[in-house]
Amino acid sequence: MNGSGPRQEGAAAPAAGALHAGPHTPLAAEYPNLLACVRCGLCLTSCPTYVLSLDEAEGPRGRVAMARALLEGRLAPSPDLVRHELSCLVCDACSAVCPAGVYMEPIQIALRATLESGLGGDRPPHSPWQRTLRRLAFRFCFGSMARFRLIARLLWLYQHLGVRHLTRATGLLQLLRLQRSEALLPEIDARFLMPRGEVYPAAQAHDQTPPHGEAHAAPPTVSFFAGCIMSTALAEIDRATIRVLQRAGYHVANTAGQGCCGALNAHGGDLHGARDLARRNIAAFERDGQAPVVVNSAGCGAMLKSYAHLLRDDSAWAERAAAFSARVQDVTELLAGRDLPLRRALRLVATYQDPCHLAHAQRVTQQPRALLQRIPGLVLREMRESTLCCGSAGIYMLTHPHTARQLQQRKLDCALATQPDIIVTANPGCLLQLQSGLRERGSPVQVRHIIELLDEATRA
Amino acid sequence: MNQHDHKPSTPALQHAAGGAEHDWRLLDLGGESREPALQHTAGGAEHDWPAIAADLRRLLPASRIIAGPAELQAYAHDASFLTQLAPHPPNLAVIAGSEDDVVALVRYCARHTLPLTPRGAASGQTAGCVALRGGIVLALNAMNRILEIDVPNMQAICEPGVVHAQLNEALAPHRLVFPPDPGSSRMATVGGMASTNAHGMRAAKYGPTGAWVLGLRVVLADGTLIETGSVSSRARQSSAGLELTKLFVGAEGTLGVITRLRLKLMPIPPARAIVLALFDELDQAGEAVQAVYAAGIVPSAIEILDARCLRAVNLYRPGTGLPEVEALLLFEVDGNPPGVRYDAEQITRIVTPLARGVEWSAEPARIAALWEARSVVGAAIGALRPGSNRAYCGEDICVPVAHIPEALREIQAISAKYDLPIATYGHIGGGSLHAGHLIDARNPDEVRRVLLVADEIHRLALRLGGTTTGEHGVGAVRARYMPAEHGPALDAMRRIKQALDPQGLMNPATLFPEDVPPDLPILPRQEPGA
Repeated sequence: MNGSGPRQEGAAAPAAGALHAGPHTPLAAEYPNLLACVRCGLCLTSCPTYVLSLDEAEGPRGRVAMARALLEGRLAPSPDLVRHELSCLVCDACSAVCPAGVYMEPIQIALRATLESGLGGDRPPHSPWQRTLRRLAFRFCFGSMARFRLIARLLWLYQHLGVRHLTRATGLLQLLRLQRSEALLPEIDARFLMPRGEVYPAAQAHDQTPPHGEAHAAPPTVSFFAGCIMSTALAEIDRATIRVLQRAGYHVANTAGQGCCGALNAHGGDLHGARDLARRNIAAFERDGQAPVVVNSAGCGAMLKSYAHLLRDDSAWAERAAAFSARVQDVTELLAGRDLPLRRALRLVATYQDPCHLAHAQRVTQQPRALLQRIPGLVLREMRESTLCCGSAGIYMLTHPHTARQLQQRKLDCALATQPDIIVTANPGCLLQLQSGLRERGSPVQVRHIIELLDEATRA
Repeated sequence: MNQHDHKPSTPALQHAAGGAEHDWRLLDLGGESREPALQHTAGGAEHDWPAIAADLRRLLPASRIIAGPAELQAYAHDASFLTQLAPHPPNLAVIAGSEDDVVALVRYCARHTLPLTPRGAASGQTAGCVALRGGIVLALNAMNRILEIDVPNMQAICEPGVVHAQLNEALAPHRLVFPPDPGSSRMATVGGMASTNAHGMRAAKYGPTGAWVLGLRVVLADGTLIETGSVSSRARQSSAGLELTKLFVGAEGTLGVITRLRLKLMPIPPARAIVLALFDELDQAGEAVQAVYAAGIVPSAIEILDARCLRAVNLYRPGTGLPEVEALLLFEVDGNPPGVRYDAEQITRIVTPLARGVEWSAEPARIAALWEARSVVGAAIGALRPGSNRAYCGEDICVPVAHIPEALREIQAISAKYDLPIATYGHIGGGSLHAGHLIDARNPDEVRRVLLVADEIHRLALRLGGTTTGEHGVGAVRARYMPAEHGPALDAMRRIKQALDPQGLMNPATLFPEDVPPDLPILPRQEPGA
């Protein structure tokens, strides 16, 4: 075997120095991850965009192949590369089934950052001014919780001062082609949850049996990750989460200084913004010691758990990030092993839709189901394709409305086939995506976050 | 579709001719080096591909034409190590949407001398669906309808892109099953399974895919659409004429494109049991298999895992707790409940004197747990060397059952000689062995060594009286062994190929060594002066 370059057919995989996109691009750091793909194709039937298109370039194996070709200099950035890579929902269904351990999310984040930064070649997916605008939007919206709350408050005003009525009635939304996006907006909660470091005490009445042979210990403390969308638009779900945790016998710290998890930045290719947010959250939660960090948004939880990977090459932060990620738990993971004062029966037929970032990214599928089955009176019916993405996927429903809608309709068909009273999920994106679809169909079926049901069932 | 033009034809052998004019050259099956029918340089460079793409968009209304530089990279591989080292994007890919489109495409290719490579799930390990000589990849995965489940006649009519697991999921409510069961069930297409004559674990009792294909619709290289196994027949057997179905099964797309399959089904056996046996010596495992057959028992599957596989499973799934002995055998028996119990008890009785430990179970949960240990092996092998990659080469030999212990020992000797870990598992009931090599794909010396390992394993199989491929096929990677494996029979294959595909356009880099481009990394390059 001679030491030939990557362009030559028959050469071995190139050494890192020969990489076209350069050893300093974010994608180069994922080269071992790309090479791990043995191209067996097991991922294909789990990939939403492949299932819809049956085009290899719209599947995980093809996306890995294209990224590898880009990195090895066999391919220059091209419109079709950008189209196929950006159509990935980053749902990680492929990672969850991969026998070779390929991990798609960091590949997509690195690839998007490489393309956005122009390092991947001379044709990034967006024009310079579009890029600046996107970056500003990401940084502006998610960089500071104060600003995020301001935007959320403006949306609340829009919804409550008659402006929405006006724009809908006048056809202005249709004119701007925004009617679908607008329909996805959640009803903004009037009362936001602001993490200020306050601690909500464990419920007094709760009788948590102490382990054998131990004295009655003080209730454990958990740190609550409030989230940006959760703490504003869906603040009532945050408050319900805190109540359920209290009733489960936890002191709940609403940790000060926390902000957005950075998932939307990362998936949009803004790696710097995502890392800034990660460092800020890690520093904020370090003040709570070793307490578990509890999350009620699957997307945020997956991102927080991947801080270890995101900052692995940052010598000052790698260790702190790993320690932080190890503390993160989805609220269903935490509660599944815990006694709950389930006082009320909920006579409902429910079907559970697996959020991708819980089922695939965090491999949490049994705990939410076990919790639902513990609720007296509730009947759980499994839907087909429960783990196929609903199309929400962060801002995917805005950037790829056609694909998102196909997945939304497919998901609703599967869910409604179980003839449920409610569809239960555990992630804000899925919640809004399913709600808007049901509203459009005029269906009486409700969508609920699992914690809302636990809140109702444990109410005194 | 009006493909069946009935031209009056003259009998090849004149009725009055007797034997005097025999062409005795037919018996001259010499092994001189051959020219490929399609010249190697013909592979695409001189064609106007944008114009061809435009033609095809017009000609193939139900299909999609893939022509972008990035998306063609998605069609540049299968799971073979060859295409890991040397991806070959085609000039165009066509995602076929209908049989009519396939006919039109094949005719177009014949008229313009364009190489055409059919592709199913591309889960193969031989580069058999990769356009190594350029041209068009014909993706059949989107032709994935189950057209009919004929329950009373126990047959399914499928398009080639139906995924195996999805077929059996659709059959389950009818209590029917398509028995061939490759490990790649969740991705493999039935068209690909037929084209490679895929086997799987239960081939020990039920045979290969070919045993379950009753008829095919095939587009020949000139665009003629034929139906094998008697036109519109639903018979479950036939003696009518040459077995053309079997000709296209295992042909790897070199003779035509399969566009429809008529598959034979059977009722799902009502009961199953598994016997697990642990052995301190490989020879005892081999003896156990022969003793079970000698007792008149035909297990539905017999699987072997070697010591490295057992360690891998324990590392990958801590808590599995498999004893790390020399070999583990899994016998599966199926049928009616009393028969299954009888067989399982008999196997336990026969194997006990040879084994360190034996257990059997008919509990579905326990059976699932034991098959789980078997099914994760392929992935678990990676745990033996964190950060390494599986290299699929020399991965599919089949040796006479009596030589399995020897083959396993030899493979370990090869592993030691080249200092690369190899974990071996396989369908011992049929003698099929899968060697899993672990390498660092970024290390050129390990790449060189693993290619030598693959070559030695292929030669080992031939030396022991076996075959270089038990169930994956030849493709490009094993074509070099075909003269040694088949002798003059390879020439008979060539003549069939020549008769059906005179221009050599159908999957043109598969099966025949002279058709495979030189300079592919199938063997390491010779160092100058080495």
